Amino acid sequence: MTSLNISNVSKSFGSARVLEDISLTINDGEFISLVGPSGCGKSTLLRIIAGLESQDAGTIALGERAIDGVRPSRRNLAMVFQSYALYPHLTVAQNIGVPLTMRQLSHWERLPVVGRFLPGAAAKRRIIRAAVEEAARSLDIGHLLDRKPGQLSGGQRQRVAVGRALVRQPEAFLLDEPLSNLDAKLRVHMRTEIAELHRTLGATFIYVTHDQAEAMTMSDRIAVMMHGRLLQVAPPHEVYSDPTNIAVAEFIGSPKINTFPAEVAGDGTAIVMGAALGRVQNGYRGAATIGVRPESLRIGQPPGRLAGTLRHVENLGNEYFLHVEVDGLPSRVVARVGHDHAPFSLGAPVGLDWPAGRAHVFDQAGGQIGRVNGAVSPFVGVVNG
Amino acid sequence: MTSDTATTPVSVPRTGFPSIPWIELFKHAVLMVGALIVIAPFLVMVSTSFKSQNEIESQSGGFFGSQEQFVDHFCAANNPAEECVATPVIFNYSTAFTRVPLLRFLLNGVIVTVSIFVCQVIIALPCAYALSKLRWWGKNVVFGLVLFCLLIPIHAIAVPLYLLITKLGLLNTYASLIIPSTISVFGIFLMRQFFMTVPDDLIDAARMDGISEFGIVWRVMAPTAFPALLAFGIFSVVAHWNDYFWPRMVVTGNEMIYTPPLGMRVYQADLEGITYGPMMATATVIVIPLVIAFLLAQRRFIEGITLSGMK
Amino acid sequence: MANSGTQARAIPYLFSLPALLLILALLLLPMLISLGLSLTDYTLGAPDVEFVWFENFERIFTRSTYMKMLSATFWYVIIVVPGSIALGLGAALLINSLTVGKGFYRTVFFLPVMATLVAMAMVWEFMLHPTLGIVNEGLEGLCAVPGITAIGFFETGCADGFPHWLGERETALWVLCFIGIWQAVGFNMVLYMAGLTAIPRELYNAASVDGADSAWDRFRLVTWPMLGPTNVFVLTITAIRSFQAFDTVDMLTEGGPSKSTYVIMYAIFEKGVQQNLIGVGTAITVLFMAFVFLLTFLQRYLVERRVHYA
Repeated sequence: MTSLNISNVSKSFGSARVLEDISLTINDGEFISLVGPSGCGKSTLLRIIAGLESQDAGTIALGERAIDGVRPSRRNLAMVFQSYALYPHLTVAQNIGVPLTMRQLSHWERLPVVGRFLPGAAAKRRIIRAAVEEAARSLDIGHLLDRKPGQLSGGQRQRVAVGRALVRQPEAFLLDEPLSNLDAKLRVHMRTEIAELHRTLGATFIYVTHDQAEAMTMSDRIAVMMHGRLLQVAPPHEVYSDPTNIAVAEFIGSPKINTFPAEVAGDGTAIVMGAALGRVQNGYRGAATIGVRPESLRIGQPPGRLAGTLRHVENLGNEYFLHVEVDGLPSRVVARVGHDHAPFSLGAPVGLDWPAGRAHVFDQAGGQIGRVNGAVSPFVGVVNG
Repeated sequence: MTSDTATTPVSVPRTGFPSIPWIELFKHAVLMVGALIVIAPFLVMVSTSFKSQNEIESQSGGFFGSQEQFVDHFCAANNPAEECVATPVIFNYSTAFTRVPLLRFLLNGVIVTVSIFVCQVIIALPCAYALSKLRWWGKNVVFGLVLFCLLIPIHAIAVPLYLLITKLGLLNTYASLIIPSTISVFGIFLMRQFFMTVPDDLIDAARMDGISEFGIVWRVMAPTAFPALLAFGIFSVVAHWNDYFWPRMVVTGNEMIYTPPLGMRVYQADLEGITYGPMMATATVIVIPLVIAFLLAQRRFIEGITLSGMK
Repeated sequence: MANSGTQARAIPYLFSLPALLLILALLLLPMLISLGLSLTDYTLGAPDVEFVWFENFERIFTRSTYMKMLSATFWYVIIVVPGSIALGLGAALLINSLTVGKGFYRTVFFLPVMATLVAMAMVWEFMLHPTLGIVNEGLEGLCAVPGITAIGFFETGCADGFPHWLGERETALWVLCFIGIWQAVGFNMVLYMAGLTAIPRELYNAASVDGADSAWDRFRLVTWPMLGPTNVFVLTITAIRSFQAFDTVDMLTEGGPSKSTYVIMYAIFEKGVQQNLIGVGTAITVLFMAFVFLLTFLQRYLVERRVHYA
């Protein structure tokens, strides 16, 4: 097996640019997620990799071998579709076996009735049947082999779709939002199953999703896409803790990251709404945006770094989301605190605070300038509480 | 290693292969031959309606005929020849309208189809509403009856219906043409299916606003069902405009209540193509209204006529 | 309050009463009358009626006239149904795969469905006219093509003249079948086009990933099975419509020559209405109804058993 190299791929539908100069190398055995809001081009990229769509420019290569113009069936890639795309007239066993029968049996051997009597066909069919049973057993759907897709639950259909991909032992699995048609509970469960399947098979998985939680929990690396561009490719923790772009920071993480308008003064000090925050280790000067994740925020007595009013509390049982209104900010600031936090009173003035090092500074274009370096800023604001 | 297949259409599953134009051309060639056979009678009909009898017999004159004036022999028998000079196209179409009361046939067609549709709607809508949105004892029986009657083709009960019309002394009347079609179980079924999709909340809101049940049917349900009604209307009008079997049974004399298809019968009696020009003009006049309506609203027509696909 | 409650309870019955009365009077009662009269020798105006039990049916299955009726009907249905279905499906597949001109072909092929059949029948009769029609004229023109007389049809045609189509026993039914197919193709095509649009695109994607490389493979793996419900429906409706063929027969052949086009619906008309043999007419009607019910139940059965996926 080899790596998959995507270089400088672009694609337009009519006048709409869907993909702009995408380059990405996917390593052998890697679980990579293409994640982004709908319409960001992630599915198109996957379909181009599969060969279902052709790019306007750029190259897809398996190792050194370019596969542009190679038929989907000859690329040795398997795909799991969002709607599962099971053949409704075939049984589960036949569905899983389709990739093998289409490849290993000739036209004549595939004919109904007649095909069975051709020399060699029976033996081939036995081998296929064994492979199908093997795949079904590993997915725990061995008892469903004679049913039709219409008689299965959503989760079972999903497994059949995975089985159909599994049975060919492809170089890579392409999964297009495979969990989006399942209910919330099953989705969480299937997350684990797919991640485990990846571990057992050791094959390359390319997983398209709009759900950042899926991408975070399953992947070795995440490729965040927006408006046809690749914004950041990195392991999940890095994407979360070190987003290279404000759009990435806002897309990954729930509740969403809080942003504050700020400015980097002439001496490199980042100033948020009048309060000095720390020094930025970068030549950038001028208007900026500061991003602070909800769990980095602390709520204490006013004044704190920023003063505000507690407006709403969401109780999630093990934690609280506190919504704080800050004068001069268009949207409320959300802080995430443990369930053992001191009691709140709505409407009370509170002080917002965060460790300086946990604030991300982005320039006006949205690119990250860097963290505010708390360690070298002696005049960090007073920390309350 | 840059791919150069910039314009492969999205829906072509075999990506990466430039689509070969001659396959498409071959398909067009096959379809064109089919289209020519399909459309040939229409072309012949219109073309012949433009031609003089001489041109028809000698198969000359091109598509529109030469329009050379000729002397109408029937007319010339009693009148001076110079009064009987005619241009073929005008002669054909004026004969079509004067030899038989064609205008009357067309009017009859309109009267019959419109009356049938109006009756069908007046009878079907309240019943469909009761079957879809009201709870009452016997509802399932009635609906079962409707489903069963869907199976009965009108042709299968034609003879007893004909007896009934005869016994009532209604032969050769508008009533005989209209009454048997006033009930459309298909219409009831169709509207009931459509009403099922109307949210109950809308009806409850109307009741809260003080609209009577009768008012709900006509002022709430009928407007919401407009697309379905339109499709059903096209289905019904086209079927009855073109219907020949039933009028053939119950209209035996009285030309004044002939429907357009019956109008064609007048020419059937003519032997040896003496009047092919006027005959084709008549056919054109009968066929053209629906064809034009179809060309103007194709989607609606196809939807309406394939409605029976829902049975 | 009690009064308005009673009124409210009466409303559904008031609403369905007109429909119910008409269903009884115009559909159910005639059907029962059909069944009843088929066992009698009833004629309009005759003073008395006698029960002849199954004599009418016996006649249908023994007299040569009715045997000819059954055979003409059989051949008409057996030719028109597969013919119009195959051509309709073929046209739908071809048109659906086009990049330009879909709408044009759909419109053209659908025109005969719209057009008044009796009028178009007269046009066909004119086109098939032995001396004036363009069909024979065209065929005579083909005689000039060298070597064409090697085909038997042209050998006799060029030498002794081409058939008189509607006037000959060997060809009349074929012509009617042709017109029947000509009219039905567009209808079936539209139904198939709707069926094709309903097939999810992802299935074709899956098929091409799974190795269905040729158009035939994709047709076998996806298109044909997914058209299952459409097939059953098109088959039944075309069959029922073919059993009802009447317009062309009455206009063009009146059942002849020598009963070669004496199809069932024309027989019902001729016996039941023109010859006032209501007993026989209704007996044929009952037979016709049996065909229709049989077809419909077959359809229901197939839909439930085989092609119902969900």
